[in-house]
Amino acid sequence: MTTALLSIRQGRVTLRKTMVWCAALIVALLLTVLIAALIGSEKLPTNASACSILSVGMNPCGLTRDQLDILFQIRLPRILLAAAVGGSLATAGASYQALLRNPLAEPYLLGVSNGAAVGTMLALVFFGTFEWSRPFMAFVGSLLATFAVYRLGRGRVGATPERLILAGVIVTTLLSSVIVFVTTLMDATRIRSFTFWLLGDLSGANRRLLPLTISVAVIGTVILTLNARSLNLLMLGERDAFDLGVEVSRVRITVFLVASLLVGSSVASSGSVGYVGLVVPHLARLSLGSDNRISIPSAAILGALFVIIADTVARTIIAPRELPVGAITALIGAPLFIYLLKRD
Amino acid sequence: MTTCLLLSSLSCSTRQSQSESSAGAGLRQIVDDAGRHISIPAKVGRVVSLAPNLTEILFAVGAGNTLVGDTTYCDYPAEAKGIEKVGDTLHPSLERIIALSPQLVLVSTASQLEVFTEQLKAHNIEVFVTDPKDLEGVFRSVTQIGDIVGKTSEAKSLVDKLRERAANVESAVRPLPRVRLFYQLSAEPLYTAGHDSFVTDLINRAGGESVTASVPGAWPKYSAESALAAKPDAIILPTGGSMGEGNSMVAEALRNSPAAQRGRVYKINDDHLVRPGPRAVDGLEEMAKALHPDAFQQ
Repeated sequence: MTTALLSIRQGRVTLRKTMVWCAALIVALLLTVLIAALIGSEKLPTNASACSILSVGMNPCGLTRDQLDILFQIRLPRILLAAAVGGSLATAGASYQALLRNPLAEPYLLGVSNGAAVGTMLALVFFGTFEWSRPFMAFVGSLLATFAVYRLGRGRVGATPERLILAGVIVTTLLSSVIVFVTTLMDATRIRSFTFWLLGDLSGANRRLLPLTISVAVIGTVILTLNARSLNLLMLGERDAFDLGVEVSRVRITVFLVASLLVGSSVASSGSVGYVGLVVPHLARLSLGSDNRISIPSAAILGALFVIIADTVARTIIAPRELPVGAITALIGAPLFIYLLKRD
Repeated sequence: MTTCLLLSSLSCSTRQSQSESSAGAGLRQIVDDAGRHISIPAKVGRVVSLAPNLTEILFAVGAGNTLVGDTTYCDYPAEAKGIEKVGDTLHPSLERIIALSPQLVLVSTASQLEVFTEQLKAHNIEVFVTDPKDLEGVFRSVTQIGDIVGKTSEAKSLVDKLRERAANVESAVRPLPRVRLFYQLSAEPLYTAGHDSFVTDLINRAGGESVTASVPGAWPKYSAESALAAKPDAIILPTGGSMGEGNSMVAEALRNSPAAQRGRVYKINDDHLVRPGPRAVDGLEEMAKALHPDAFQQ
């Protein structure tokens, strides 16, 4: 909090610094995408694959039809989905943390992911054939969960961090039992897919929903970054922010809506990938400072990096079998988080 | 593994005390697929089955009348639907099982075991585990269950018939080249049959060669790019039975496979392929006929 105050007072952080950092991170992201695309359960010729990717698929560079299919129909869509999901969850986490002034606010811990999961499941049970209903219902679910947690978390003295987390625990466990109940409505084959999906799984990189997930990630990050200055002021407290000219309720509603949209679209396409919204924004703030104008967009890119790396591990470590990516993000995320806590 | 050992040693110690107390009551000892020694009456007359394949085996050996409880998944033969339901395979109601006072509960995998074996034992109800890893294992289940319910000769003649049908299939396809195939248990996420699945054995006997035969586990989640790179010449879709039509589309990664291009995608009733019971031989015949139609033209 004090660092936030300092950075705001000093006013040194400019658009230019943000741009430089984001450009550097984007280069790192593109490199990671390229490297991740060269790794998989099937070995492809490295140079030819890199050549073909760099030509954006225009030049086969001597790869066979099957190898091109593996590269462009299976691996790259999955990597792009990983990037979109990671970016969405990290941005949502960073914004919740700023808005609620709570370092533990995170889609997974607040029950927002579970809200989206319930929405997706209901969409599958009732409108199974209409796949656009999934992201829509997931959005509605995460929005309802967000408001429930927010209302529950506000006592007479305002929202204390502890109260908010308790509200999140209550909403999370309540929705978990709803999920268990909904699975009993499903047939045996679906249950198997669901237990995997609930842990976060990117293998169903759905071609038709992929552009939507990516667009939501990019547009959502841009909108939240545009609100970053208001979020900086909000970190001083709602009353002070209001006195400084922030339209508190407008910012609050924007963040809730956009963050719910981000969580909803990523859960609808890949289930609940945990820890991304918690670990990545912390990492961004620790290394780049707590000015939201830098930490929100850089959390988005770092989140994309984090999930791409986690998913590369998930799809190769026991190849040709696969693990759910959520298991890997938790395995990397939990110790990293403990380390970050100890370091403070 | 350790749990299995632990459980078996536990059941050993209780068995000893039990057989001491009820010596002369006609108890006998058998060993189940989890390697547990259990003691049961000479002829068991009240059984609860917790899996559809075990229910099918009981009816097939003519012991449907010993069945006092089964699961909501047990839908074959038709009489099985009329049996009192104790829940589904994954979530059976312990209370209802105890209320039905069976002498034996049949379960299909050791995974269900830890939950209630001890509690059932407290009510003098034994648990028998079956875990067939191949068709021989299925025959062994039929023989053992027939023996348990006093239908030894019926079980033997059933196994003889099933064995003969399986042998006929195998001899018909033996001279033919094996068909490299992918067994798609579900498309999204992509699941297949691995090394420990009895389906892998059925595929072998049907003149096929599963491209995932050496993958560890029974039902592994499989990499889409490895499925594409395997270029299977045929795809088996278990679908259309009690699991519904959910699995009737080929996974996206396999849309351009040689199998899909040549129309060699075969839908086989999932009840014949995922239930290690007597109808597994139906599944074997259907698969062999799909893979090698010329061998069965008479």
